[in-house]
Amino acid sequence: MKQKHHDFGPSSVLMLLPSVFLLAVTSVYPFFWLFRYVCYDYNGFAAYFTGSYNFTHMFSDTVFWQSVLHTFEYAGMKLAIIIPLSLIVAVLLTQKLPGTDAFRTIFFLPTVISSAIYSLIFGFIFAVYNGPLNAALQAIGLVKNPIDWLGNAKIVMRSIIIVAVWGGLGNYMIFFISGLTGIPSEIYESCKIDGANGIQTFFKITLPMLSPVLKVILMLAITTAFKDYESILVLTNGGPGNRSTVMFSYIYNLIFAPSTPPQIGYATVLSIVAALIIGIVTAIYLFFARKLDDVV
Amino acid sequence: MKRSVCLCLFAAFVLGAGWTNGIQDAGTGSAPAGKTVINYWTEDRHDLAYVEKKIDEFNKTNKDNIQIVLNTITDNYANMLAMSYSSGTAPDIAKVSSGTTGFDLKTFVDAKIVDPLTNYIKDPEFEETTEASRHIYEGVNAINGIPYWIPTSVRSGTRMIYNKSLLDAAGCKKLPATIQDLVNLADAITKKGNGVYYGIAATSSAPFVRWFEGSCEKSGIHPYDYNNGRFDFNGYLEPVKIANKLFKNGSVFPGSTSQGVDAMRAQFTEGTFGIWANASQEAGVFTTQFPIKKFEWVVGELPSLDGTVKGCVSSTPSKGYLLFSSSKHKDAAWKVIKYFSSEDFLKGYLENGYALPSSTYMAKHMDASKTGRLADFALTSYESTYPSIPSVSVTGDDYRKVLWNAVIGQTDAETAIKDLNTRYNEALDRDIKNGKTKRIIIKNFNPLKPETGKIEYSTK
Repeated sequence: MKQKHHDFGPSSVLMLLPSVFLLAVTSVYPFFWLFRYVCYDYNGFAAYFTGSYNFTHMFSDTVFWQSVLHTFEYAGMKLAIIIPLSLIVAVLLTQKLPGTDAFRTIFFLPTVISSAIYSLIFGFIFAVYNGPLNAALQAIGLVKNPIDWLGNAKIVMRSIIIVAVWGGLGNYMIFFISGLTGIPSEIYESCKIDGANGIQTFFKITLPMLSPVLKVILMLAITTAFKDYESILVLTNGGPGNRSTVMFSYIYNLIFAPSTPPQIGYATVLSIVAALIIGIVTAIYLFFARKLDDVV
Repeated sequence: MKRSVCLCLFAAFVLGAGWTNGIQDAGTGSAPAGKTVINYWTEDRHDLAYVEKKIDEFNKTNKDNIQIVLNTITDNYANMLAMSYSSGTAPDIAKVSSGTTGFDLKTFVDAKIVDPLTNYIKDPEFEETTEASRHIYEGVNAINGIPYWIPTSVRSGTRMIYNKSLLDAAGCKKLPATIQDLVNLADAITKKGNGVYYGIAATSSAPFVRWFEGSCEKSGIHPYDYNNGRFDFNGYLEPVKIANKLFKNGSVFPGSTSQGVDAMRAQFTEGTFGIWANASQEAGVFTTQFPIKKFEWVVGELPSLDGTVKGCVSSTPSKGYLLFSSSKHKDAAWKVIKYFSSEDFLKGYLENGYALPSSTYMAKHMDASKTGRLADFALTSYESTYPSIPSVSVTGDDYRKVLWNAVIGQTDAETAIKDLNTRYNEALDRDIKNGKTKRIIIKNFNPLKPETGKIEYSTK
């Protein structure tokens, strides 16, 4: 059958023009603008040429490379908890059980709250002296002395992950629910007839049928986890002793820290490196994830 | 059903947009007909009640048809000032002091963000109340001798503030004179407290400057070697090691290192720790903002390394006003600055105990008996203002954060100090080479009289 070709005429160009213009002004131009100051020490007002210093310094900046390791730690821990947990919650909430609508709303609510706001609230919850979490744990006898959730370098990352999982669970749950509702119910009926139990159904039917959706969700989750920093800034500002500093919180503080002059040029170089790291991680993930498309 | 839900959502959106627009108008200060609006930004919260009252008075009674609109910026003040200028939303005037965190006058002057006040301050009334000609501090409120703001008050150097009940319970007979004495006292209070209260508290907000920096200055320790024009952090090793014992011994209020300053002030008011530290603004804080009713509190001088005075403690010329170059009503803005610097404004301000007088004129014309607890923070003979040190683009953590991390035991002190010396001097040499800054040298610098001495600028 012949396919009808549509001409890309003047009216198409006119209709595309506003969005292309906005994209160019708000995305493309700022991206290339970044490269203006990579060889400068720029404080927002005056630029001083530094040659290749920003690049050579980047290689010896141990705080930055530690922040890269912390970013991988944070992203790994967050994904290892949030993806399975949101999938299990999504599966449970697609069952025809009483109260599922209410629970969907409750789990989704953190997604609509600003991360800065709920991080501020968690800061109070985690308080060492008279904080509700420590008070509860001491009351039930789980701990004897209050835990310094945000001031102890050994556990601060775990505290931050708790907040991150709480804030992001609802978001991924909704993605999985929309993926699960796309699986035909006849397949589950056939499984029941064939005598498959819940766990067999989940691993043999649900997960494989979800593969294409799972691939996209994982990619979004990886890029989001690598870019997370707002909660960390509010909870600990990268402390104690830079233990919870991640790439973008370090870059943010290079520009906006109140105690030092802004270093936009150097921050630009680090932003480009951070973007490259995320790009490489995403590319590796897509290489290994291509098999997920072939599952169904 | 769906249609009515859509209609409700649309109505909510329209109402919300209209409401938000109203709030934005209030923030930017839309002028009543005929009035000249002067937008004034401040970061100070402790004197807000008084300042708002005086602004209201001015707005109702001034004959120049000027309306002052006040905006309080509570976080990242210096950055907000810079960003406001870049985005074209800068105020007409902004409060500043030598202690404004992150504020570098030279950056603002080089970028032509602020106008010099050279001609304005020749006003005889202004000179009378502020003694402006005697308060020009190079690098602090003036660049190359040209003034950009004039202090109308001064904040004392930091002091130790004690909960007397807890001191008495711990058997303290004499306030600590050395940093080791302070550690011993904190340990004694903590031991007596038995988990209910502790010796001393820290804070996440500028912890280094609360008492430790002042104690080091009093011990003759400063990050910049004015004689040689180099950064030198070696003097901090010993006080860092002694102060670290507070944390090793468990005498610091748990979790205080991650709590803001207002949270810790509230805790002090509740008697959960015995020793706090800050400057003269605490007189107003513990009288009106977080009034202390449960115990008697006393103010003591900072301890030093060996109990003697080897250097001045920095006092902070305060409550000055920048005039933004983008202001469209500079004459009206100057009238507002003049009002904030007038005897009418300052008399009540100083008598309310918000700050100490910076001029002998105001010191004579105010009723010192009304200042309440501010009298406890009166300037000592060893308080002054140090010349501004070069602002350098140092990557990594700044020296205050690094040294404080060493105090709390997060990093090794020797390694930290060696790293600071390297990074800061490399940054200084690099910025001088790039033309961004100059080396400041004061031959025969006297730390007991830092305001004296001739400043030389070198590009070597």
